[in-house]
Amino acid sequence: MILVPSKNKIISFISVLLLLVIWKIISIIYNSDLILPSPETTLISILKLVLSKNFLLIVGITILRGLIGFSISILLGVALGIFAGVNETFHAFLKPILISIRSTPVISLILLALIWFKINTVPIFIGFLTMFPFICTNVIDGIRNVDKDLIEMSHFYKLNKINIVKNLYIPAITPYIFSGASSAMGIGWRAIIIGEVLSQPQYGIGTFMQTAQTYLLVNEVIAWTLIAIGISYMFEVLIRKIEKLIIDWK
Amino acid sequence: MSLKIKNLHKSFHDINLFNDFNIELKENTISCILGPSGCGKTTLLNIIGKTIQPDSGNFTGFENKKLSYIFQEPRLLPWKTVRENIAFVLNEKKKSSQENSIIDKYLELVELDKFKNYYPSKLSGGMKQRVSIARAFAYSSDIILMDEPLKALDLKLKLNLIKAFQRIWQFDKRTVIFVTHDIDEALLLGNDIYLFSKSPVDIKEKFNINSTERNLNSSELIALKNKIWEVMD
Repeated sequence: MILVPSKNKIISFISVLLLLVIWKIISIIYNSDLILPSPETTLISILKLVLSKNFLLIVGITILRGLIGFSISILLGVALGIFAGVNETFHAFLKPILISIRSTPVISLILLALIWFKINTVPIFIGFLTMFPFICTNVIDGIRNVDKDLIEMSHFYKLNKINIVKNLYIPAITPYIFSGASSAMGIGWRAIIIGEVLSQPQYGIGTFMQTAQTYLLVNEVIAWTLIAIGISYMFEVLIRKIEKLIIDWK
Repeated sequence: MSLKIKNLHKSFHDINLFNDFNIELKENTISCILGPSGCGKTTLLNIIGKTIQPDSGNFTGFENKKLSYIFQEPRLLPWKTVRENIAFVLNEKKKSSQENSIIDKYLELVELDKFKNYYPSKLSGGMKQRVSIARAFAYSSDIILMDEPLKALDLKLKLNLIKAFQRIWQFDKRTVIFVTHDIDEALLLGNDIYLFSKSPVDIKEKFNINSTERNLNSSELIALKNKIWEVMD
């Protein structure tokens, strides 16, 4: 069997290729590794980083921070979101808090967190603050969009609350949780790495990015960046895969 | 035994829907309430289903009765299979083997036993409505309330669904209160047909059809249809 790639996949591939070509051209024009190393040099830097002694530890700790922040966000976001979705008073109370968190510049949060928390907690805290509002808002939307006819039907049939929450509300908001989780993670990784750059914990992608920048190792800064993009992409794919597994009824 | 509603009063804002309204419905029959849109047919169903409070009225025979519903739309949970959708409304205390045999029995009666593990998205509109009929019968109710369940369907599906309903009802003759504005539906399904006036509602006339095999082209139904038209005008 010959696998024919879809038209969209070919176009995506061309788009990535185009970026690489532009990158290569600019690096030729400047001809300086201090300003912009070529894609090949960067690839070599990535390989060197990947093979270096502490690579798994550095990346692993960043991922761990991300997952801790993400788990807290999911737990609190879903719980508070469901409550705000069914309780108008609590929604009125929670809404301004969510809006303020979302509109506060990430950098202000970090500067304050640096004063308030231990170094290792700062990136997790920042990750949580950026991810939580996305998940919470999505869950609230999900609850509000539960089919009113189905709710009415379950009341007509005199079903108990636990049955309704378990079999009606939770499945109905599941797609919203996934879409919230996906946008939260997209922005969460960035926030966590910024947190690491500024708080400088012992290990973490951000820490090493900052070090590389201090020594003007542009190839390493870009290499870490591409690794971070890779992690973010990997989790996006993972979330979509899990979503497909769970939501099999569409 | 019969179900009686006496001296029912209900108004919404300034509209007086029921003003000293009385009706008596036979049990284990299909009572059809036929009337113009907005006359308060659905409100009457909701009052019987206790989702709307009447201003006043006397109800006898409704005490401790369990109700099930067939709505205009199928109202199935999209994330549950046909089987699970019916199980969702059944009493959780029942043993699952007992529950399964009930579900299987009613799905067979609406000819959907082969589709019990399908999700609703894989079924046609008529099939979904048949699931909702099976759900209403599988639920151990005393009275089934139907609010224009055939409204959204084309004629062929309508006849198909009426057949499915007749088959299941012949097997399990529950008290059915069926609301519609469509004369043909009333003639095909009802045992007792109550012709409602515009609000405030009163019963203009009551018709009775005993035959089980119904054909809209039969002289009996044509004559009855003409009579209904006469009374309606």
